[in-house]
Amino acid sequence: MIISVIMRIIITEKDRGGEILNTAAANPKMGNLYYLVILLFIGLIVISAVYSVSIGQVHIPFKQAMSILLHSLTNGRWGTLEHIDSESYLNIILQVRMPRVIFALLIGMGLSLCGAVMQAVVQNPLADPYILGISSGASLGATFSILIGFGSGALLSQFGVAFGAFVGAMITSIAVLVLSSIGGKATSVKLVLSGVVLGALCSSFSSLIIYFANDAEGIKSVTFWAMGSLASSSWDKMPILAVVILLGCGLFLFQHRVLNTMLLGDESAITLGINLSVFRKLYMILTALITGTMVAYAGMIGFVGLIIPHICRGLFGADHKRLMPGTLLLGGLFMIWSDILSRTLIHHVELPIGIITSVIGSPLFIYMIVKKGYNFGG
Amino acid sequence: MELTAKQLEIKLGKKEIVKNVSIHVKTGQFVGLIGPNGCGKSTLLKSIYKSLPPQKGTVFLNEMDILKTSEKKVSQRLGVVGQFNEMHFDLTVHQMVMLGRTPHKKLLESDKQEDVAIVEDALKRTNLLDYQHRSYLSLSGGEKQRVILARTIAQQPQFMILDEPTNHLDIRYQLEILTCVKDLKIGVLAALHDLEIAAHYCDYLYAIKDGEVYTHGRPDQVLTPEVIESLYQVKCQTYINPVTNGLGFAYGI
Repeated sequence: MIISVIMRIIITEKDRGGEILNTAAANPKMGNLYYLVILLFIGLIVISAVYSVSIGQVHIPFKQAMSILLHSLTNGRWGTLEHIDSESYLNIILQVRMPRVIFALLIGMGLSLCGAVMQAVVQNPLADPYILGISSGASLGATFSILIGFGSGALLSQFGVAFGAFVGAMITSIAVLVLSSIGGKATSVKLVLSGVVLGALCSSFSSLIIYFANDAEGIKSVTFWAMGSLASSSWDKMPILAVVILLGCGLFLFQHRVLNTMLLGDESAITLGINLSVFRKLYMILTALITGTMVAYAGMIGFVGLIIPHICRGLFGADHKRLMPGTLLLGGLFMIWSDILSRTLIHHVELPIGIITSVIGSPLFIYMIVKKGYNFGG
Repeated sequence: MELTAKQLEIKLGKKEIVKNVSIHVKTGQFVGLIGPNGCGKSTLLKSIYKSLPPQKGTVFLNEMDILKTSEKKVSQRLGVVGQFNEMHFDLTVHQMVMLGRTPHKKLLESDKQEDVAIVEDALKRTNLLDYQHRSYLSLSGGEKQRVILARTIAQQPQFMILDEPTNHLDIRYQLEILTCVKDLKIGVLAALHDLEIAAHYCDYLYAIKDGEVYTHGRPDQVLTPEVIESLYQVKCQTYINPVTNGLGFAYGI
């Protein structure tokens, strides 16, 4: 039921807005419609967030959830706690569900941001945040730390899986960067190929570790980690994630000129005064940093980074000035709903969120491919 | 603006593609590069517009040392219409032409009314005003090339490089594009494959063979049967076309 609702929201949005907004992209008179859709996204995010904190094992009425949020956000100036049925609601919402919604929002924004940037960097609509070996590197790091560990008592072991995943992601993406720069410029094709090769290498090492591991519990947690989960979200993990993702978003929102010229390819970009190989490296390092952080906290959540930028290109066109804000917001919204579904779809069971995103994402993507006229932003 | 390229040498791997080529384009001159496929025309042009650094030689646009100046500074004065313009993502024609303003913009600067006016003018010159809300990928080859030309015009360059700009285009598009460029009255260096068009539009020609300047001069000096036979390995006779009064060519193997 809820799947169909969210799909209808996104799809009718596209149907209604698609053609109009695309032509509006170049036409200043139609610009208002764009801002309207952006405002709509923001509104939906706020409502969805409140809905998200109100549901779960303990059902909290929407109104009470809202007044708890209002009360705590305005420091008690607005909203009242008088009608709250149970004191525990306060704790559930503020300590458990709030951080989780914000995690979902941030990670959705981060994934779709990295997806959009990566698609521009490698000039390939199939790219996602994980394309350049980041996923396999992170998996290897996580597998290593779960099944082998960094040794007891060492400083490293305290950080555990998150640290392993982050280090794995960073090392692989730097290796991809180095490999693709050997013998001249790092072109998009070389980047993709290096990513695929190093990804395969990392995967085989992970398999090797798993094959020789005699640890059923460990293997299970590797699997669970690889499917992505927001279960570990908490306030004390928030600062790093928030700073990394929000800084990344803020930066890339203002990179639309470079991102646009990236779509034209190296040759044309140079004649427009932008040396892409420099920006490509810079963007790769930044996205690796953001993706590494996200993977460390939430595991591998697939499909969001691939599909959200595409939906937004269908809505707003490929001009990154319009694309980026829309992508960030829709990514966050998508993730909040995926999280809601992962918690509520099966009673008393929390599904890994990566499964949900792919299950919602694939039909949406098929719909876009089948529907005539979608040509990556036109 | 005057373009002076001196003693350019370009190697790709171990192969010498361009050997000691010097080219001079005077202010407002339309200069053509002719020569068979693979003779090094495109490579030479690439090294002039900084896409491919040459091993040796200098390129100056007036007093600006192109090879040592930043891409951004160069692109404010030098516009390029390239050979291939395929992409995987789509923009509208208007957005595409607006990208021509990139060299004149700081990173955070937004598009001003002035930029919109410049883009509009470029669209008008290339007969694309009715196309501005169309998607670029939906256009035909000739229309795409006109969009690229419009983008380069919006760049407001003082010198333009064209690399076989009329490749694959029908006659009308060929004439439209070159007439439009000629009307800009700025210095132009263009690699051309059609000799009649080269004879008609160019003030001066460089014939390139095996990476070297084979000969250069006014079109009527360069486009002789002997030069053409040697350049393209074909038998050739030239004649004055009775309709256009321009040079005509008859080829055979």
